[in-house]
Amino acid sequence: MKKELMEILACPMCKGNLELTVEKENGKEIISGWLYCAKCNERYPIVDAIPNLLPPDLRD
Amino acid sequence: MNESETRRIVKLAYAKLAKQQRSCCSSATGAAPCPGQECYSSQELAGIPAEAQAGLGCGNPVAIASLQEGETVVDLGPGLGMDAFLAATKVGPQGRVIGVDMTAEMVTGARRIAEDNGLNNVEFRLGQIEALPLEDNTADAVISNCVINLSTDKDRVFSEAYRVLKPGGRLCISDTVTDKPLPRELQEDLNAWASCIGGALPRHEYVAAMQRAGFCDIRVTSETVFMVQKDRLGQDIEILSISITATRPCSNRVE
Repeated sequence: MKKELMEILACPMCKGNLELTVEKENGKEIISGWLYCAKCNERYPIVDAIPNLLPPDLRD
Repeated sequence: MNESETRRIVKLAYAKLAKQQRSCCSSATGAAPCPGQECYSSQELAGIPAEAQAGLGCGNPVAIASLQEGETVVDLGPGLGMDAFLAATKVGPQGRVIGVDMTAEMVTGARRIAEDNGLNNVEFRLGQIEALPLEDNTADAVISNCVINLSTDKDRVFSEAYRVLKPGGRLCISDTVTDKPLPRELQEDLNAWASCIGGALPRHEYVAAMQRAGFCDIRVTSETVFMVQKDRLGQDIEILSISITATRPCSNRVE
């Protein structure tokens, strides 16, 4: 996931802002980390550079 | 219709197709030939990574999207990314394309293809088209190819597309519809649903759902009958692939 795309990302539930926590990144992409919605108190994982923004009840 | 069971079956079918590097809906059960292949010009195909070309829908939504350099495009259910990559060539390095797909295998495959081909203006994320993880008023165009029929809540898909579009933004879709309601047993057949047949709405209901979301200027740009089913009385029901465009009006919708 590229950092510059953060600006248009939103929580799938409340559509509010997401805060990014980076665990691992290379030059151009975030490889793992979290996107946190303070309003919903929900953390969306970034795994293998793909943000999982499925609604929490649909995550595998 | 059990929503979560339908979603599970659709996900399973498309995860399997992703592994076979196919995302052609109608081949999920081998029920019908995919009508979309001839919708792309050889010039368009030359600009799309070969690995992504396995993904064929039922039309070519990019061809009706009038994309300009620098625009932001959202692809609902990009599969392996064929239309997203084609859109990326149209919007150029200053533009961006975001694909939202609920099937992990598709997203992983599409991302790998983007990376292998150095395509930096396309991103894929796991998400639900009924709950888009995108801010309001961000997209110039929303495209989708043979996916919305798979949703059990098409009203929500259209209202989410409306929300993420900028005022004046375009919705450009290829999808399956019917000329009259399908018999209930076909609507409840999950394999038929995963094959883009069971969830196909009658054309006028599809257009009405777009209108309810607030879209205007709804135009059917092409339609082709690709299959005929029989209803209980033995009468023909046409299954069509349809291309349709609509606009989010510039002024606010009347609530």
